[in-house]
Amino acid sequence: MTLARRNLVQDKVRLMLSISGVALAVMLILILKGFLSGMNRQITAYLDHSSGSLVVAQEDVVNLLGATSLLPNGISQKTEAIRGVDQAIPILSQFVILDLHGKKQPAYMIGYEADLGGGPWELVSGREPVSKREIVFDQVLANRHGLKIGEEVEVLGSEFTIVGLSKGTASWMTSFFFVRKRDAEDLLLSPGATSFLLLNISNGADLDETLRRLNNLSGVNALTKQEMAANDLKLFAKVFSAPLKLMVGIAFLVGTMIVGLVIYTATVERQREYGVIKAVGAQNRFLYQVVLIQALFASVTGSLLGVLLANGAAQWIMSTRPQFLIVFDLMDMSQALIAGIGMALIASIFPTRVVARLAPAEVFRK
Amino acid sequence: MIRLAFRNLFQSKTRLVISVGGVALALLLILALDAVFMGVERRITAYIEHSGADIWVSQEDVLNLHMASSSLTDSTARKVKMVSGVDSVTPIHYVANNIVVGDERNLAYIIGIPEAAKFGGPWRIISGRSLPGEGEAIIDGNVAEKSGIRLGDKVKILGEELEVVGLSEETSSLVNSIAFISMKDFEELRGTYDTISFLLVKVEDGESPALVAARIEAQVRDVTAQTRVDFAGQERKVVKDMSTDLITIMNLIGFLIGLAVMALTIYTSTLSRRREYGMLKALGARNANLYQVVLAQALLSVTLGFFFGLAITLFISFLIPMLGTNLTLVVSPLSLIKVGSASLVIAALSAMLPIRQIAGLDPAMVFRGR
Repeated sequence: MTLARRNLVQDKVRLMLSISGVALAVMLILILKGFLSGMNRQITAYLDHSSGSLVVAQEDVVNLLGATSLLPNGISQKTEAIRGVDQAIPILSQFVILDLHGKKQPAYMIGYEADLGGGPWELVSGREPVSKREIVFDQVLANRHGLKIGEEVEVLGSEFTIVGLSKGTASWMTSFFFVRKRDAEDLLLSPGATSFLLLNISNGADLDETLRRLNNLSGVNALTKQEMAANDLKLFAKVFSAPLKLMVGIAFLVGTMIVGLVIYTATVERQREYGVIKAVGAQNRFLYQVVLIQALFASVTGSLLGVLLANGAAQWIMSTRPQFLIVFDLMDMSQALIAGIGMALIASIFPTRVVARLAPAEVFRK
Repeated sequence: MIRLAFRNLFQSKTRLVISVGGVALALLLILALDAVFMGVERRITAYIEHSGADIWVSQEDVLNLHMASSSLTDSTARKVKMVSGVDSVTPIHYVANNIVVGDERNLAYIIGIPEAAKFGGPWRIISGRSLPGEGEAIIDGNVAEKSGIRLGDKVKILGEELEVVGLSEETSSLVNSIAFISMKDFEELRGTYDTISFLLVKVEDGESPALVAARIEAQVRDVTAQTRVDFAGQERKVVKDMSTDLITIMNLIGFLIGLAVMALTIYTSTLSRRREYGMLKALGARNANLYQVVLAQALLSVTLGFFFGLAITLFISFLIPMLGTNLTLVVSPLSLIKVGSASLVIAALSAMLPIRQIAGLDPAMVFRGR
């Protein structure tokens, strides 16, 4: 133990470099994961906060953000006639690409009727859109582009006046904005069209039974809001998980390499000492322990520092780029620590080979 | 001096492998992420690039295909056809929806094309036909394989069972795929009899697409006409604008990791050669000479790391499509230049760390046997 510590601490710069290398790798892993869970939270923001407990979509459409849904005419009345359904809130929604100061910004437009609901759930300032060409814009997006209440923003070629700013509706790829449903119909050249119905269920109504009745209507697919949110998550997870895993894998390898390099050089430099210890009767196992303890120390310290760094970096990223939400919990942090220990174990392989091959007699020959 | 650097570097093979490997991986982080986004850019413009159209006409101010919806009235096609310089006009319908096989739903852009369409259909067919008739569909080969669909099988699109008569290639991305159905089916299933989504325009031989596009916008109301190149450029810009911040953050972390690895390697290797450097000093070598050795060493290992990282990226981009995912990685020259210059900066910065060590080296030390 003392030997391991001395080996490590003898060269402070090297120790510092190795710890910061591991810390950076762990930080990268944590930020990537935190980024993904943050995005997951943002993706389901609308479904998590809007009113209603059930959603009616076009037949075969199971996502809010994936496919374009178009409901048959008159479906609102039909669903409201179904026992168990208290109120149907129609929305017309569509991804649109906004052009803000020459920057393309995908955003999800929700056309809704203010008196029925389905609009923004938290207004920081201003009010909901009630007359023609009024819009509630996301606060973060508005700040980024210096837009204020009363100013105009162009959506699909039409100028809208910002009358309110909403909170919790931002994301780097799916910011939500809200207009009157009638305006959305005009923009999409589809008068009377409805994409989804958000349904409020009467008190005491049987959810499964209501769903079954709704699904008997032709041309529609009714599901709970939770199911739809899960489907959206699954869709986005499919898109992002492969590249993300690639990055995390690389980061892990980098960390391993760094610890490996440090412990390897520390061992090689002390070959003679190890030889002497062997010559006086120490077993390979003892020397392995010395190597492993060094590796563990470097990587665990590095991982802990990485967790701290990740927290700092996340705060910094979120304050300078508020469209990113980065969240990690205790579980993620412990996983990062475990990854650090994994790095140490793998990294010990190189130097243990050196130690194992060492001939005790060699030291006396020199 | 270069030879000395070379020898220093290659003397310990394990150290060389670890340090070059470390730098390579850090650079790989940057390269791979760039390649992922480049791959996405390439794939999402595939349909536009291969559509065969010179000009895309859309609803006014709709500048994109992806994540957008465009609606044109039926009469627009006639009006556009009459603009001078226009050779032919092919209308298409477009909506984001699902290909349903049993319980499985595959997100897809559904394109409705006329039965005798000259443009707008699939550009590479693995098997079967390249144009769908009524009650028929052409879907992506990857999607078909994943869902166990063969020619002649049925899939549900827009709520209707359609027979798969062709399988296409290069029509799937990470997010979704493209499916082609007949215009008649599309109109019936969506109830869009009097509107279309886009017009694919071919200009007459010798006409400039840009000029004809300008003419279309001047003569036909409520439309936006863009050349194929511009339209694809808009599409790429969406990906670029969306990913810039993300890529910057990741690149910064990759750069820092690369820097840490390299600094560590150079530092440790200089340290372990203190005696040799002391000897050189004692023999009359100046600090500047020794710096050169260190710098050359850093440059050499970073260069090796760069090519190694590039090799891994190319290998991964070759391997990943074979694993059945729709992720495509494309290494662009621009990203090579970026990573190349980052490597140089890494080498230069990491070589600065041992300077103090070398400067503080006492030539007499070597004689004292330390």
